Amino acid sequence: MTVCNFYLQGRCRYGDKCWNEHPRGGGAGAGAAGGSGFGNRVWVNPQSQRSGGNYVQPSSFSSHGGGNDWGRGGGAGGGASNNWSRGGGGSNDWGRGGGGGARDAKNFSFSNQNRFSTLNSQSSFDSRGSSVADDDNDKNLEMIQRDMEAWQSSGQWALSCYSVLKANISGFVELSPEELRMEYYTSRASGDLQSYANSVQQLANQWRSRVQELRTMSSSTRTTMISELNNPGSSGGGFSSPSSGFGSSSSSLSSSAPGFGSGGFGSSAPQNGASGFSFAPASPGFTMPNSESSSTGFGSTGSQPSSTGFGGFGSPAPSSTPTASSFSFASPVASKSSSGGFGSASGFSFTSSTAPAGGGFGSSAPAGGGFGSAAPAGGGSLFSSAGAGGFGGGPAAGAASGENLFTPQSELTPDELREFSAKRFTLGQIPLRPPPAELLTV
Amino acid sequence: MSLFGTSSGFGAGGTGVFGNTTTDSHNPMKDVEVTSPPDDSISCLAFSPPTMPGNFLIGGSWANDVRCWEVQDNGQTVPKAQQMHTGPVLDVCWSDDGSKVFTASCDKTAKMWDLNSNQAMQIAQHEGPIRTIHWIKAPNYSCVMTGSWDKTLKFWDTRSPNPMMSLQMPERCYCADVVYPMAVVATAERGLIVYQLENQPSEFRRIDSPLKHQHRCVSIFKDKQNKPTGFALGSIEGRVAIHYINPPNPAKDNFTFKCHRSNGTNTTTPQDIYAVNAISFHPVHGTLATVGSDGRFSFWDKDARTKLKTSEQLDQPITACCFNHNGNIFAYSSSYDWSKGHEYYNPQKKNYIFLRNAAEELKPRNKK
Repeated sequence: MTVCNFYLQGRCRYGDKCWNEHPRGGGAGAGAAGGSGFGNRVWVNPQSQRSGGNYVQPSSFSSHGGGNDWGRGGGAGGGASNNWSRGGGGSNDWGRGGGGGARDAKNFSFSNQNRFSTLNSQSSFDSRGSSVADDDNDKNLEMIQRDMEAWQSSGQWALSCYSVLKANISGFVELSPEELRMEYYTSRASGDLQSYANSVQQLANQWRSRVQELRTMSSSTRTTMISELNNPGSSGGGFSSPSSGFGSSSSSLSSSAPGFGSGGFGSSAPQNGASGFSFAPASPGFTMPNSESSSTGFGSTGSQPSSTGFGGFGSPAPSSTPTASSFSFASPVASKSSSGGFGSASGFSFTSSTAPAGGGFGSSAPAGGGFGSAAPAGGGSLFSSAGAGGFGGGPAAGAASGENLFTPQSELTPDELREFSAKRFTLGQIPLRPPPAELLTV
Repeated sequence: MSLFGTSSGFGAGGTGVFGNTTTDSHNPMKDVEVTSPPDDSISCLAFSPPTMPGNFLIGGSWANDVRCWEVQDNGQTVPKAQQMHTGPVLDVCWSDDGSKVFTASCDKTAKMWDLNSNQAMQIAQHEGPIRTIHWIKAPNYSCVMTGSWDKTLKFWDTRSPNPMMSLQMPERCYCADVVYPMAVVATAERGLIVYQLENQPSEFRRIDSPLKHQHRCVSIFKDKQNKPTGFALGSIEGRVAIHYINPPNPAKDNFTFKCHRSNGTNTTTPQDIYAVNAISFHPVHGTLATVGSDGRFSFWDKDARTKLKTSEQLDQPITACCFNHNGNIFAYSSSYDWSKGHEYYNPQKKNYIFLRNAAEELKPRNKK
């Protein structure tokens, strides 16, 4: 049963006849039952309300404007079926005497967090959100996070678009398995599988970082997502879907570029530096190879060295936003070397933490001839769920940050050793480094 | 007629049923194996139309070839003929009279293969690999429809090198289906367009995709009056959407269902989700079959919204499927679909086409 909010404030006029639950001790203070079922919401002590009227919105609560809750609290607006509207009939609550004795001070001390903190389920919470639009945003963001989790763990095809509402979420490259396979066959025919492998690796890393970014919704991601969800098609920065990205670029793309090159790679155009993307913006980059060679190499029947094709796909126009793209592609226009565009693994610096520093790139690069073999290439493959460099490696990479997982015992300070050896950590003295392997009992 | 040039290691003729000695998982359903399968992944299968006596199966593969087998009533398959492209073949279809086979390939061309003379000539040209090919037989015209990764849909009179019509699509064509007078094309970026083919092909409606991920396959179904009324759309995310074009109650009539996933009821471990590679409707019963990257096929009844059967798991993904004209034979191909990238590609691994008796298993469930 849902807990009666009025009762918590000591104002329930139904008393024992109330349909909602009256927890013992709930009348004592509005918010003693402050458990937050919602990660973001921080319960605000009602005492702090007395001073003003306008309580300070917790900063993590970015989707709600400061005054919204308040205003709605007064008007008992659009909540679907909640205590508020039933109890008050939509009218302002302040005027009610209430059953438990009117404690007027409570009127102003009542904070919206309080109202919701007693609810357990997120969904009912969402239905009482400050406004329907914000509800939807929250729901959608939740859904995005859940979908990203499922996507990461399911092993499903990664090079796919994704959407929650009508429009596609930006930052995902859409390639069908046939297109990728065709690329492989073309590369194999021209003898240069290395660049194929490199670009697949690149796509994989880009996907991984994007999924991770959406899964752990930082506040900046959240705001970007909300604006994107609410303004389809005019999504922030350069995060246009590949088709629109290409539609906006010069028409030379669509005409001369066979499907694969133009359709896939340049799509993620990071102009927001915070993203983990490392592809240069699409439009200038793609016109370059088109103009300089008759074909981008993708659709060609292998006569063109595939390096040009792949280099084309990654080539940033020199004028494009350099800050966002952390790849340092050698300009493929100039260099025809097979791994020219991609070989500079050291130049990569993924902003997202999931990709091990250079490992993802370097580890999957056996000698070119080794590529046709059946054995899966080393860690970092697009689909291996236990890939060393890849999916599973995310958290580990983040935690270890390239160092050992354990600190050798000899390196610990006596304080740290004491902490590790103790049954519990002492607050304020928790070691910052990982414990030594010897002390771990499995 | 030319027999197959390359040796498949199987020997010619024979039923190809390897019998019960092997229990390896390449054929756990113990279905009839087609002899002389292609040497690389099979991308598409098509049975001959009812206008032709007998059953002939056409299969296109990534080995650049298209093969034709005769399927006899006792289950024996006889390789009949083969044609080559210069690139992998992505789609095949029959003409309505069963005399011609149209093949679409990554070499950006489509060919018309006259089976009687065993000659193939080019009938279409695109700027990018051609992904889908369908024959349209209208009262006042006949043509071949090709969908390509160059984002165009072209219609070809086989006698002319120029297309009769060319329609621009928002994105690359990923899959299509035609049942006169309706055609559905699903493109990249979750695009979904329905065309109407009366008089001349024109765009009928663009539909917001009911699915969240990449479209993979589409198949039109018909109503009781044998008119096309909707389509089934499969995605890479183990989900199929059933969508009616003009339903009385869209919210209730259109639905999606999950398929080709592991861990059916076990919710603790994360599910493995596989792509739906192809969908085929039974021509008589109206029930559908889906095949997926998990190496299973499933039969469903969309009206009763139930699953009829799921197969055992094969050791390779199932890439294509089709029913013969009277629905007695269900053909499916077992080969790698690139769902896990190049690392899992083994050129030495054998590819299979299996034939299964489908008369009984696809009978619809009686709706309660």
